[in-house]
Amino acid sequence: MIEAFPIFLDALSFVLILVLVASGLVIVFGMMGIINLAHGELFLLGAYTVVVAQGFGAPFWLAAALAPIVVGVAGLAIEFLLVRFVVHRPLDTILATWGLSIVIKQLVVLAFGPGSHSVAVPIDGAFSVGEFSYPAYRIVLMIVATAVIAGAGYVLVGTRFGLLARAVIARPGTSASLGINTGRVTQVSFAIGAALAGLAGALVAPLISVDPQMGLGFLVPAFLAILVGGAGSMTGLVAGGGLVGGLDSVLGGWISPVLAQITVFVLAILVIRLRPGGLFPGRGRRP
Amino acid sequence: MNRLSASFSLTLAAIVFVALALIPVLGSGYWTGQATRYVLFGMFAMSLSLLWGRAGMLTFGHAVFFGIGGYVMATMTMGLFGDGILSELLAQPWIALPVSVGGAALAAAALGWFLFWGRGVSGAYLAIITLSVAVVVEQAVRGFYALGGDNGLVGVPALATWAADPFNPVPMFYTVLVIAAVVYVGLDRLLRSRMGALLTAVSANPDRLGHFGYSVFVVRLGAFVLGAAIAGLAGALFVATDGFASPSLIGFGLSAEVLIWVALGGRNILLAAFLGAVAVRLAESFLSGLLGDFWLLALGMVFMASVVLLPQGLIATPMLWLNNRWNQGNRSNSRDAPGPANDGMV
Repeated sequence: MIEAFPIFLDALSFVLILVLVASGLVIVFGMMGIINLAHGELFLLGAYTVVVAQGFGAPFWLAAALAPIVVGVAGLAIEFLLVRFVVHRPLDTILATWGLSIVIKQLVVLAFGPGSHSVAVPIDGAFSVGEFSYPAYRIVLMIVATAVIAGAGYVLVGTRFGLLARAVIARPGTSASLGINTGRVTQVSFAIGAALAGLAGALVAPLISVDPQMGLGFLVPAFLAILVGGAGSMTGLVAGGGLVGGLDSVLGGWISPVLAQITVFVLAILVIRLRPGGLFPGRGRRP
Repeated sequence: MNRLSASFSLTLAAIVFVALALIPVLGSGYWTGQATRYVLFGMFAMSLSLLWGRAGMLTFGHAVFFGIGGYVMATMTMGLFGDGILSELLAQPWIALPVSVGGAALAAAALGWFLFWGRGVSGAYLAIITLSVAVVVEQAVRGFYALGGDNGLVGVPALATWAADPFNPVPMFYTVLVIAAVVYVGLDRLLRSRMGALLTAVSANPDRLGHFGYSVFVVRLGAFVLGAAIAGLAGALFVATDGFASPSLIGFGLSAEVLIWVALGGRNILLAAFLGAVAVRLAESFLSGLLGDFWLLALGMVFMASVVLLPQGLIATPMLWLNNRWNQGNRSNSRDAPGPANDGMV
């Protein structure tokens, strides 16, 4: 029993990280229908914000709080300068955001070099109960991630802004005729999605090596988690992230990590193909 | 109008291929060797233009078929299949080449059947699923030691003894150029036929095509298999030229690259897609040394700007402008000349 516990916690922390990374994408892609292939690079910018802020001597938690602001502002700029011109051409949105991801990646390479950086784990030590112990930062990360995911879900479901955002996303024409400034709401929703990606990057940075190529590794599982769960709802994402991340993590310890990822991707593709609405279809956009 | 008329397209293609044929005369052996690869990438780009520009299927995994063609060619000609006389027979390039093309087509038939049967996947879902497929296939090949794993397969034999001299790339260049020209003419004819109209229809309004009694599934699958077969041919010829089959040929990286070439050149026009690949590779060989990391940054920015401002493509836009001039000129020359609709314009 005690041997299974770390496996379970590893899986849980991986699932929460994946859901956290994908939570911004569920707003931007799942709800707004913007296929943002640069989402992985927004995550990357979050992690590099921490690297830079720590370089100036800022404590980790200040840096982590700064990341969503920096990346959120970047998101505003991206929406203003790029996304709004292509949002009515969905396939071109894929291409434009892919171009953007190349540009961001190269800018990071030019500014910080192609090598990897490491971020010191802000909370040393381990959390132990009896003979069992687990890194404390991972526990804290799980708690923070749960809170952020729940908070994002609450903003979307329980607040007036969330209502407006969902209205604009579901019926843009009707919303505009009711006097909602749809352009503004879209902009803010996109910025929130970006900010969540930035926060995820900052929080995950101490656990992984921060390098310019780190975005893609999270982008594909994030998209798959959203599609498996059912694009358009936070609950669907949690379910999809649980399946994709959990299976990947558990299989990764069992068979090789590469084989685990291949298995999970293939299963996810099968699910998406056989149930295009996802396992738990929400009430958001349909394919 | 986003298509070229038949007469203009043929004239332009003739100019392009004749200009390419002059490369060994004017350029060094090094550039002839490079040009062979660019032409093969151009062929690969044409096959994507068929799928994406014409049939509306945006795929992020097209290099999978390029890579399958390449790996089948490499394993067969290196004699890794069977043993004894069978192995020698299968290693004949003239057997291995069709088998490579067939292998890519077969893989596409299987994947296409899975993707398109029933209601089928299209649009963004197709892009994301093919992206995942490309990542999976690349990882599988990287982890598959019989295929050389990360290192790939080194020492793939040339197509024939006359193409084997590394200091004389001219014969291989002309072989590849002729094959590319044949593929171009064949595809261009096909797209101006009934099949081309079906492909346009399947991209513009699949439901209506279905109501007319056509099988959307068959049209999509047919285009997918044909595109993959051409990609496989390009891949097989590429490894025979390069002597090297690496996992980077089969994965997401090359899939995304070919998408950029085709988008920059012009997704709707075969010749523009072909030239897009040649131009980007040529620019890369000059500029990547000069600009270093700024090259990829510049490419990304140009790509982004082109998608937003000139979605027809940077090469296709002037081509279309010239095309209109050409057709206007032709029409004013002869009074009873057919209008653009009768000029083979699809």
